[in-house]
Amino acid sequence: MIRFEQVGKRYANGHVGLHELSFRVRRGEFLFVTGHSGAGKSTLLRLILAMERPTSGKLLLAGQDLAQITTAQIPFLRRQIGVVFQNHQLLFDRTVFNNIALPLQILGLSKPDIAKRVDAALERVALSDKRDLFPGDLSTGQQQRVGIARAVVHRPALLLADEPTGNLDPRLAAEIMGVFEDINRMGTSVLIASHDLALIARMRHRMLTLQRGRLIGDGEAG
Amino acid sequence: MSATRNPQESSSAAERVGAAPKKNDQKKDDGSPDFATLLHAWIEAHRASLIDSLRRLAKQPIGSFFTCLVMAVALSLPMGLSLLLNNVERLGGSWQRAAQISLFLNLDASEADGQKLRAQIADMGDVAESEWISREQALAEFQQQSGLGEALKELPENPLPAVILVTPKEVDKAALEALRLRLADLPKVQQAQLDLLWVERLSAILKLGERFVFGLTLLLVMALLLVIGNTIRLHIENRRTEIEVIKLVGGTDSYVRRPFLYMGALYGLGAGLLSWAVLAFGLDWLNGAVVRLAGLYGSDFALGGVPLADGLSLLLGAVLLGYIGAWLAVARHLNELAPK
Repeated sequence: MIRFEQVGKRYANGHVGLHELSFRVRRGEFLFVTGHSGAGKSTLLRLILAMERPTSGKLLLAGQDLAQITTAQIPFLRRQIGVVFQNHQLLFDRTVFNNIALPLQILGLSKPDIAKRVDAALERVALSDKRDLFPGDLSTGQQQRVGIARAVVHRPALLLADEPTGNLDPRLAAEIMGVFEDINRMGTSVLIASHDLALIARMRHRMLTLQRGRLIGDGEAG
Repeated sequence: MSATRNPQESSSAAERVGAAPKKNDQKKDDGSPDFATLLHAWIEAHRASLIDSLRRLAKQPIGSFFTCLVMAVALSLPMGLSLLLNNVERLGGSWQRAAQISLFLNLDASEADGQKLRAQIADMGDVAESEWISREQALAEFQQQSGLGEALKELPENPLPAVILVTPKEVDKAALEALRLRLADLPKVQQAQLDLLWVERLSAILKLGERFVFGLTLLLVMALLLVIGNTIRLHIENRRTEIEVIKLVGGTDSYVRRPFLYMGALYGLGAGLLSWAVLAFGLDWLNGAVVRLAGLYGSDFALGGVPLADGLSLLLGAVLLGYIGAWLAVARHLNELAPK
């Protein structure tokens, strides 16, 4: 699914974000990327999302070299990926339904198809009764679940999450992780950047550990 | 931005990510969507963008109205001046008298000679009208206008020649001079006289007016592009988060751009309609005074309104300007809107 081969990222100011990173993520795999602030977790996610380009090495996503793709190809690459943010990135002037429908509208699906799939996504995150509310009417945990529903509604092959439980209490964090595991069981590869080691340890999935842009650990958590 | 994007791209992408296939009856045997499905998706995408843009403009009615009004004023100035110039040119029809060529005939030319010559001149392609004034008519007019009636009666014979007054079709210096030379060569013509000073002045005034309107139009088009560009920039700024999210979930630049283009075109349409109304009312308001003034000079001249063709051109131009202004604004700011 994802292959990093000696991938490096050096910024214009000389700062090195990632040092010759090499690892693979298999289709349908669930893994965490952990490390302290500044370890390179976010840089790694940004490279996969083509928000930045590697300055060395080869980064392949479903066989496509992300260092070589054109700017015009980036939107189509991103349609294969779902993204969950720590701050949810919801649109507060749209209902829950319309927030989740956004990726499907971009894909050009018909209205009945959109309604069917949004309702299914809402059911999966247990928010069917919040369909017509606005994000401002929801709790933080519910907002995060809306963000997850939006990330998976178009059935991406890969789900990325950047500190998805950062603002949540432990009970809500565990609940959200449960949602991610449900999604993974349906065949979607899940890659979560998090520094919540206690939570990661409980879930017993593969864990990559970064330190100052270098990969210093690759094994099962716990 | 609830619109959908290019259906051709969309469906292939949808298939790549494993999206649910559409109904079998909507697809060809090879699995690609048929033309009707693509067309429907394309129309739906544009309809959604248009409605979204209308909804956003309607949400801020006062702001939208004033933006349209500013644009309408900028459109009305050159268009109004152009319409006034057209009216002046129409008025110039009566000014053609200033460009009349007077043909003084030989004293021995009979009335039959003069009438034959008048008919010959009237048949010329570049002549609008020709009028025969006999020697007796000329003397009578001169007696009346000069106040020398009694003195002229003492003359042994009428010293004035018969005259043919030639009114040309076009008030153009070179064409008039060419016509004058041709008329001077006709038999029985002693002299062909043309007061070119008036013609030159009129021509120069009209040319100056046209150039002024052209320059003003260029300036105001640039001002309009700035107004619409700045307005769209503010809309983009207000929707920055939305645009970043759209880009992150796979929206293309054209998907992001589309509602802003509709918005620019809608601003243009509103401004065009307002401008048409302003011009129609403005000309109607001026017309009363113009008719009174023209009446004092014994003329029935009246200002024309906004011709339908000009009004439609104004609307089309305004919509295009709005669209182009929005395009430039989005193109300029799109790169700054990369997701952070």
